[in-house]
Amino acid sequence: MIHATYRHITISSLDGEALAKLSSDMKLSLSREDMLAVQAYFAKANREPTDVELEVIAQTWSEHCKHRIFGAQIEHTTESGTEIVDGLFKTYIKAITEKIMEQKPGFVLSAFHDNAGFIDLDDDLAICLKAETHNHPSAIEPYAGANTGLGGVIRDILGAGKGAKPVASLDVFCFGSPDTRQEDIKADDVIHPLGVMRGVVRGVRDYGNRMGIPTVSGAIQFDPAYIYNPLVFCGTAGVIPRGDIDKAMEAGLKIIAVGGRTGRDGLHGATFSSASLTTDSHEEDQQAVQIGNPIEEKKVSDFILDARARGLIVFITDCGAGGFSSAAGEMLSETGGQIYLERAPLKEPGLVSWEIFLSESQERMVLAVREESMYELRELARIYETELTDLGESDGSGILKVSHNGEMVCELDCAGLHEAPRRSMASTHKPTRTAAIEVPCDPAADLAKVLGDFAIVSREPIIREYDHEVQGNTFLKPLAGAAADAPQDAAVMRVDDSEKLFSMAVSILPEWGKYDPFAMGQACVDECVRQLILSGANPERIAILDNFCMGNPDDRNELGALVETVKGMAEVALEYQAPFVSGKDSFYNYFETADGPVSIPVTLLVSGFGVVEEAAHITGSSLRGSDSVLLLLGTTENALGGSVFARKRGVSGQPVPQTDAKANFALYRRYYEAVCAGLVLSAHDIGEGGIAVAAAEMGFTGKHGIHLDLPDDGLPLSAHLFSESTGRLLVEVDAEKAAAAISHFDDFPCLQLGAASEAHRSLRITRAGESIIDEDLSQLKSLWKNGLSGYY
Amino acid sequence: MQDTPHALLLKFPGTNADVETARALETAGFTTETLPIPVVTPGMVEHAQLVVIAGGFSYGDYIMAGRVAQLEIQRRLGDSLHRFVGNGGYALGICNGFQILTRLGLLPEGSLVDNTSGRFGCRWVGLNNNAPKNAFLRDLPEHFEFPVAHAEGRFVAPPGAAQRYVEEGLVALTYTQDINGSECAIAGLQDSSGRVFGLMPHPERFLFREHHYDPDWNGDPQWGWGYHFFHSIYLQIAGLRGIDASLGMGVPV
Repeated sequence: MIHATYRHITISSLDGEALAKLSSDMKLSLSREDMLAVQAYFAKANREPTDVELEVIAQTWSEHCKHRIFGAQIEHTTESGTEIVDGLFKTYIKAITEKIMEQKPGFVLSAFHDNAGFIDLDDDLAICLKAETHNHPSAIEPYAGANTGLGGVIRDILGAGKGAKPVASLDVFCFGSPDTRQEDIKADDVIHPLGVMRGVVRGVRDYGNRMGIPTVSGAIQFDPAYIYNPLVFCGTAGVIPRGDIDKAMEAGLKIIAVGGRTGRDGLHGATFSSASLTTDSHEEDQQAVQIGNPIEEKKVSDFILDARARGLIVFITDCGAGGFSSAAGEMLSETGGQIYLERAPLKEPGLVSWEIFLSESQERMVLAVREESMYELRELARIYETELTDLGESDGSGILKVSHNGEMVCELDCAGLHEAPRRSMASTHKPTRTAAIEVPCDPAADLAKVLGDFAIVSREPIIREYDHEVQGNTFLKPLAGAAADAPQDAAVMRVDDSEKLFSMAVSILPEWGKYDPFAMGQACVDECVRQLILSGANPERIAILDNFCMGNPDDRNELGALVETVKGMAEVALEYQAPFVSGKDSFYNYFETADGPVSIPVTLLVSGFGVVEEAAHITGSSLRGSDSVLLLLGTTENALGGSVFARKRGVSGQPVPQTDAKANFALYRRYYEAVCAGLVLSAHDIGEGGIAVAAAEMGFTGKHGIHLDLPDDGLPLSAHLFSESTGRLLVEVDAEKAAAAISHFDDFPCLQLGAASEAHRSLRITRAGESIIDEDLSQLKSLWKNGLSGYY
Repeated sequence: MQDTPHALLLKFPGTNADVETARALETAGFTTETLPIPVVTPGMVEHAQLVVIAGGFSYGDYIMAGRVAQLEIQRRLGDSLHRFVGNGGYALGICNGFQILTRLGLLPEGSLVDNTSGRFGCRWVGLNNNAPKNAFLRDLPEHFEFPVAHAEGRFVAPPGAAQRYVEEGLVALTYTQDINGSECAIAGLQDSSGRVFGLMPHPERFLFREHHYDPDWNGDPQWGWGYHFFHSIYLQIAGLRGIDASLGMGVPV
């Protein structure tokens, strides 16, 4: 006899309080208002819900899946008054992208509605990029959390269009400092940052390397606030034939699952990640963390790419948060259809209905295919040694029907299901008062400290653990230069069957946002786009992604910082004509410690990709010539707020650099013309650590010395050397072409700052002839190169 | 005019370097067929000219690198790979392929185990060409570079064996620096016929000049050394060499 695998739950008689308690007891993460809406839905249907239905609604309406805060109406108050933001996403992300799409027809081929957004590469191919966070799982179980974080975003790419090919990955982490003292961790069961870092890196390594997708781009930031809530961003880029981007569901298709089996791992992941972490999370929520099996996903990937090439896929989506529920829900949201849970292959017997339907077991994809393709698909599954299951079919009913052993366990009107109540929120932003002073500096000593800061030191020990060359298309590698170990601003990937290449870069500056979130939003877009152009991408063919993480959105000030960040980001994106093609957000990254709640600073990751028109445009960041000239493009200001130097010096109250987007972008376009004209040998963005660090890093290739002569223009020395003003590039040009290059930048801020020298191997910086820094480059390099090796 | 040489590329679940290996083979002149192991028959192997096992993590390599793939080959194909080689066929194993060919006993006895660092390492390495007449190495100079990317690349052999392989001329490639603790710095081995070749480094990742990490690399204006690696064996199989190059110890030609 088969035991009941589901139950009806009486909600019609409950009041608001009891409904909220039910939500909490079932770990649904639904608010009182949400529960009242659910009650109304079932009152209309004149019946009580099943547990499966409640779980499906909780998952569908979870912050993780619906982004309800980015959709909320926000009353935002600043010194200049109160305004109503009619949805952050709608106002500042979608509207801007649509505007850019109008101005640049044919560039963005798909944005927001699919797993990842696509842009035009050439006449035949399109490329896409998607980044996700896996923060909560990585806090509790770093290896598995990061492992499945990368596995999940790879599946996003496999489920983008009719199945894109994953070709490159990026990873960005925010951790507590690796040298955090144990007694400074004010909560039980929190894993030390070193353990988190090692686990996370190995998790990414073992998934990416086994899948054979090069991990080519990344960054790490360290801050005590990330001790309790580490952030793990994983992103993957994909390539697809243009004709396979559009997909549409229809009635009468087979719904099939391919890949791994379904088990109890990853229950409640979507709702778990939509709530804050506590010490209890480390004990209770283990089941929310999935278990990764990269080889299973590799087999699925081989299957999908072959099936897509044969034209066998009508629709495809990944099983991510919410498992079959979200995958089938997404697929059947318009057509409706029937899913038979008893057909799902299980890892273990005894799963009840909602567990099968909601489990987030990894490595599963759901496809809609024609009946007549089934034979060929089964044959492909045999060849690639993966499991294919006929789960059900789409019909024209508009109703999502889920049965289990002949009993209907879920029957929801697809249209009604996706209407979550809209949230109303309030936020406040009060700017931090700043006044620029002349911060003193001890140039050589400060340079050594800044170069050894965790935010700047070489990530080499980590980069070497990632296979960043598999697929044989990594033309500009994360570490390059004459000794193959100098930092580069972006990675450039060749693309099979195309003359075009693409560049990938990231920017994340959480320290800035603590003082000026608007400036952080601006700078992240600026730096990412600048790095892409600098490495050779065409400025007119760049697209970006936004990934936000924050603490408690119900705190007015924290939400206010988010609003300001979004505004700054949007302003620069619009000016740079860089559309957002995808984005994601993660809230409730706060933790109740023994000393009270600790929130992460509002953190924005901007990752981007841009088309590099020909391999000759690829530009590295390592010095090449022996007598070449170094040009400084852009303007340096005395704005040390948020800088690594200010942090090292313990200086506060300094203004954070503002971004003049119009001026910057005009300069970048001009720079790109110089690249196309063959005037540029190498170029490095001036970012964290300022000009001093940028020049040192260019010299880390080990070939020649560098001499810079700073102008005596009244700017304090500390700002000259260490300001992180945006919009600046350090560009190396051949001595013979220097005059042509300088006249090329005639109407732009361009200064002949220095030159390479064969005579020495030092970084020599003078101001008006007076020696400021004269340090052996190999010694500086060893500070920078070994900064992390003691910890990893 | 002979037929274009044909390469058979075997693919296992977890093989992940098949696309770029096929790209390299085709760029060098081969026609290439990538076959997942369930569709491969002994007949296909026996009629090939070059059998290639590409890099990756066959079946996850959880037990020991190449072990499950070895058992699968033996189960599905019996001794057809040995017969193929015995009948004059060429076999190439790159990275995981090297590990699998070693497990199959097609290369000198030994194992590829965890690097002494205990870590995966992705980097470019200097290599010494110790068998310049080997069919795969004919067009390569005395010293050159390829990238490596492995966690299990340390070659170990029964006591004294590695030194004996050196003396017998089987150690076709050695690292110029110790990167993983390999005995005698072994990076690549050939069998006594010279027709079976296995190496940890990835020639397919240095097909084009642009693959090199240094834009000022002082080499071929178009091709990387990986191209010449695949082109060498192409010329050999296409019969364009004119002379027999078997074990090939000696001075570079």
